[in-house]
Amino acid sequence: MIDDIRVGALIAGSSIKRGNKKTLVFIVFVLSLIFMNLVFLPSMIGGMTVLFTGFMRDYPYGDIVIEPTGDNTYINNADNVLKKVRAVEGVRAATKRLDVGASIEHKQNVVGATITGVIPTEEYDISQYPYIIKEGDFLGDLSRDEIIIGSIISGTSTTFGEIYDDLGETRTGSLVDVTYSNGVKRTYKVKGIMEGNFELVDLNAMVHYKEIEDVYGLDSGKATSVVVRIDEQGTEDEMKDKIREAGVNEKIFTWADKSETLIRQAMQSLGAIDTMSKFVGLIVGAALILIIIYINILNRKKEIGILKAVGITPRSIVLSYAFLSMFYVSIGIFAGLILYLSLMLYFQANPVVFYETMEIRPQIDVMLLIESIATMLTLSVIAGTLPAWSVSKESILKAIWGR
Amino acid sequence: MITVKDLKRYYGSGDMTVKALNGVSFEINKGEFVAIMGASGCGKTTLLRILALLDDATDGEYTIRGLKVSSLPEAERSYYRLTQVGYVFQDYALINEMTAAENVYILSMMEGKSKKESYKVALEALDKVGLKDKHDRIPDELSGGEKQRVAIARAIAKKPDIMFADEPCANLDTRNSEQVLEVFKDLNDNYGQTIVMVTHEPWHVKYVDRVITFQDGVLVSDEWVEEQ
Ligand SMILES: Nc1ncnc2c1ncn2[C@@H]1O[C@H](COP(=O)(O)OP(=O)(O)OP(=O)(O)O)[C@@H](O)[C@H]1O
Ligand SMILES: [Mg+2]
Repeated sequence: MIDDIRVGALIAGSSIKRGNKKTLVFIVFVLSLIFMNLVFLPSMIGGMTVLFTGFMRDYPYGDIVIEPTGDNTYINNADNVLKKVRAVEGVRAATKRLDVGASIEHKQNVVGATITGVIPTEEYDISQYPYIIKEGDFLGDLSRDEIIIGSIISGTSTTFGEIYDDLGETRTGSLVDVTYSNGVKRTYKVKGIMEGNFELVDLNAMVHYKEIEDVYGLDSGKATSVVVRIDEQGTEDEMKDKIREAGVNEKIFTWADKSETLIRQAMQSLGAIDTMSKFVGLIVGAALILIIIYINILNRKKEIGILKAVGITPRSIVLSYAFLSMFYVSIGIFAGLILYLSLMLYFQANPVVFYETMEIRPQIDVMLLIESIATMLTLSVIAGTLPAWSVSKESILKAIWGR
Repeated sequence: MITVKDLKRYYGSGDMTVKALNGVSFEINKGEFVAIMGASGCGKTTLLRILALLDDATDGEYTIRGLKVSSLPEAERSYYRLTQVGYVFQDYALINEMTAAENVYILSMMEGKSKKESYKVALEALDKVGLKDKHDRIPDELSGGEKQRVAIARAIAKKPDIMFADEPCANLDTRNSEQVLEVFKDLNDNYGQTIVMVTHEPWHVKYVDRVITFQDGVLVSDEWVEEQ
């Protein structure tokens, strides 16, 4: 077997060294494109995912979010939960929120919105809300008759303006009437307008936590969610376990758990396209390698016969073709990687921009790269070996003299 | 050294059967340089391919040094081809992407020798055919005669029991043919190499010891050549 490998390598080596260089360049070029095709689109999708997951952390869910169990609308002892959570090592900050449904009215314009009751001072450590006030100011501890509205609702969103109903040029200082889902009406002064260029944010409004408690007549300590930020990103799952161990019996999700369904839906169509293009790419790649090797083998059928006639084992011959196609593919992958990385560099510097402000930078997924490389190498061995195998089985006389 | 008994090789079947060899018997002893002659289509190539284990006889017996090689399984025949039998093709049959040396030493490597040792063996063989200084040329950079000498080097590098050559000079001009035949003669005279060569050319006879003549698949004469 070792002799077979040595001889196979010798045959492949000489055929590479003294074979047609133009063909080699062409083969490598095409293979590098196939590789690119396998990894590029997923990288872009990865970039979009990162963008979306960033939103998930920064606004609705934090790193970890705790929600009521079962059919409960509220976490009943949110303060207790908060106390337990804050005591867990690795937790950086935590706060409670109350999400409710409401309609907002301003000069005969009515829009539906989720209004989130927040504890303003705590949000600075939890979310980006306080930092995306594009007009006016964020809520303060004493803000009881004030509201923050998203830019889409206010009608000042430059990105989503056309798509949604709005209140018609509401400004800081405007008065809006809010009717809560339980029928209670309140009038608020717009304290600020927030814009995150993210529908979940810009379609929302925000008042003081106490205000919601008051409107709904809740006992203190009720919350629809407890939002947690941790010290170290990437340890969400461990932290989730730790929080549970700390005695929190509510439902605990990481941002990834939460966004999964959302992202999955958003990405599903893209993912399907990606899978399709991957599949087609692989088939085309395999077919190409197969054809290249097959033509090569047909051209060298006589040589294969000669090699066998002088006593070279069929196994060495098949191995030589496996080596040959592995070589083609390795060089192709190498060239493809260079191409890919330069494209990545380019897009890091010049991200694709969506909605004018959402910058998508493609993500390099090492696992995906390894997977693609392994797939292509495996395919190359199969595609290179199969035709060689069938020819090497032919009788010597037929291979050399054609009969 | 080799014994052939009532060897038959038929092509096709029924009415279309071609009896390329129709019962051939002879013996060749160590150190002989034998020419096989006869009109075109009389079965010379057919015989040689069977002797070199490239083809199977329809019937009959073939032994090398008493071993019945005609009934060996393919893997062993392959090993025999590699180690015991040299074959020189009419059209050289070199691997075009390999240098002269590589064409020769690939066989030693197949036998399990180290690369260095294989290279040494190859250079020795190339030296015997007078091509040591052209060992790193590829076939395209060699003349027809030189290519055929590389092919001979490949056949003799393993020091085979017996070497077969099917019209080795058919594609060569007289000068190149003479060079090749001189190499054969030298191998036969100085190294005792047993050689069986198919040829058409009457003037080749002066290089050989013995001439076997065929006609329509049967042996019609077997004569020793007088030393001149
Ligand atoms: N594969 C084959 N199928 C059918 N008939 C064949 C085959 N190979 C050879 N023959 C026939 O067998 C006979 C002997 O052929 P062979 O090639 O041995 O002749 P040869 O003596 O070598 O001729 P030449 O001097 O022209 O090379 C011829 O009639 C040939 O047509
Ligand atoms: Mg012939």
